[in-house]
Amino acid sequence: MKRTCFLSHEDLLSWLARLAEKATVWVPDPDPAHPQVVSYKPFTPGSRPDFRRLPSLSAKGVLYPQGEVLLRFQKDKDPSAPSGYRLSFEDVLPVDCAVLFGCPPCDARGFLVFDEAFLQGPYADPYYRERRERAVVVSRVCRTWDAACFCHAVGSHPADEEGSDVQMIPVTEGHIFRAVTAKGERFLEGVGVQPTLAQHQEAQAALEQGRAQRLEDAALVSPSDDFRKRFSDAAFWRLWTERCLSCGLCTFVCPTCYCFTITDESDGIHGERLRSWDACMFHHFTQEASGHNPRPSKAERYRNRVGHKFSYFPEKHGRIACCGCGRCIRSCPVSMDIRAIVRALSQTEDAHV
Amino acid sequence: MADSLTTVLESLWDEVEVVLGWEAGYDPFRAVPAFIRRREDLTKLLWNPLCAPNLSGYLAKTWEKTAEGPKKTAVCVKGCDSRSLVALIQEGLVSRDRLLIVGLPCSGTVDPDALNAARTSSAPVTHVRFTRDIVEIVSDDGTERIPLERVVARRCRRCRHPNPVLSDVLVGDPVDRPAPQDPFAHVRELDAQPLEARRAFWERELGRCLRCYACRNACPLCVCQDRCLAETRSPKWVSQRDSLRDKVLFHMIHTLHLAGRCTECGECERVCPMKIPIGLLKEKTAEIAFDLWHYEAGLDTLVPPPLLTYDPSVSGL
Repeated sequence: MKRTCFLSHEDLLSWLARLAEKATVWVPDPDPAHPQVVSYKPFTPGSRPDFRRLPSLSAKGVLYPQGEVLLRFQKDKDPSAPSGYRLSFEDVLPVDCAVLFGCPPCDARGFLVFDEAFLQGPYADPYYRERRERAVVVSRVCRTWDAACFCHAVGSHPADEEGSDVQMIPVTEGHIFRAVTAKGERFLEGVGVQPTLAQHQEAQAALEQGRAQRLEDAALVSPSDDFRKRFSDAAFWRLWTERCLSCGLCTFVCPTCYCFTITDESDGIHGERLRSWDACMFHHFTQEASGHNPRPSKAERYRNRVGHKFSYFPEKHGRIACCGCGRCIRSCPVSMDIRAIVRALSQTEDAHV
Repeated sequence: MADSLTTVLESLWDEVEVVLGWEAGYDPFRAVPAFIRRREDLTKLLWNPLCAPNLSGYLAKTWEKTAEGPKKTAVCVKGCDSRSLVALIQEGLVSRDRLLIVGLPCSGTVDPDALNAARTSSAPVTHVRFTRDIVEIVSDDGTERIPLERVVARRCRRCRHPNPVLSDVLVGDPVDRPAPQDPFAHVRELDAQPLEARRAFWERELGRCLRCYACRNACPLCVCQDRCLAETRSPKWVSQRDSLRDKVLFHMIHTLHLAGRCTECGECERVCPMKIPIGLLKEKTAEIAFDLWHYEAGLDTLVPPPLLTYDPSVSGL
């Protein structure tokens, strides 16, 4: 029996305040000057989280900051060293406990892609692992989708619990919280009150409604073979990416894009080795030291974005690297539609001529 | 309006190789850049206040015409877009003689966020229609009528060139609209605040920047493309740090490279996913250019832009 509890809207805010004393509680928070911009920020007593709209930015920054310090270094004078200098290093590992609270299911599922990339195989990423192990993910059943949403097409739905420790289900006067994992069970210990039968039924109905919701008809789950056939079809990619501006917006707002760059950033004798978000849509992403660039134009760069999400990653890890949140479509300055491109992969070879 | 655009282009089709215009995007609120190469596709063209993207930039970057035939590239321009195109021609970045410029008098583009916020229904939109001053939004809940004035983008409220400044063919009647009293009112309002308040304003606003560079890439006059100073590795001017300092530095580079060149189309601000009013920075430089030289960028193809001229005998600037 999975633990469930009910919290009224007021009790929810006081629970968040209590949680925030022990951990960083990331909630979707509208910008005071621009309420349509919702991003994840640490909960503070004055916060008014927005659990309705899809945040403009995904939650990936919670476990994978845009700029993460891997180590710090310092250069000191040392006449005994051959160079005249001695370098000292300081390891930096994240130690914060985090609660990602009230994200939509697509954002919670995004981390499953990160788990494959950073935790599987011979080398686990210690920075991501530390954050991941200390984090609890509370996702909400989503009830506000729009024309850019396509979670259904990638095997999910608005009530998906995959990737969440706890599910948050809106009911009259408050929310039902439902443990999904053992971590979620522990997290909910001693929280709230037992839901009434009516609340329980309402939550059940909300879950069933979410599961039944079909946001997109045609599934995008197996385009891998089509992608391979299209790979060298330069005309296809040039045509479909013609309007792309080649900026990095789609990758930065994406919950599953995890590519990074590592740079040493220094101020005088101090500095840090930094891992920061990079984007395969940028030209320098594949720029080689020789000057050669294997992806010289936006057509090859966009092809990589589609291939990584819908072909290379699923072949290697058995999961599409896309959770259907639609941010790359919704936020794009020219509304590039990755769904349309993935669907077009399977059209006949000469369809584009 | 779209019908007459299609008709005009159909009549000119023999001269044209490709048309840069707009077509319907994934939902009725989105009009997206279209590249039309077949006569029968001309009916896909859209022309309404949702046609926000400035297409002039494509002529100078990120777009390769597939064939170099004798025919022309037709490009649809609103007033602001035509200024960008003129500026590109002034700087020798776009060749005028291979263009067929289709001018579209514009009474303002709509901000899709404002349109969404103004709606009372949450039902999915099935259709959008425009009359002179009203946006009609059709959904399963019926038809909502929203005054256009309420949802017009900020950039359009300060527009003083609603009619294209350069075109070969004009589609539609010129827009007769009084010029805004002070196009730099937003900048002056900010300027009137004390230094500390302005600093706090920009720290708050630019603090949200992701450095996704959508503003730069959407800018028709940001033409350095893969050689942008913000991304050079040697020398490295801007670090990868997710810090206010680096964000501000990038935006200062962006702004200063547009000083005296920016045509105030507002694309940088429109495309920002974090809704940072970065147009204000460029408006400030446009205001300075106007005060110093009485120069407005992108009005005359024959005038050299002031910062693209150098005369050692001039002093006292």
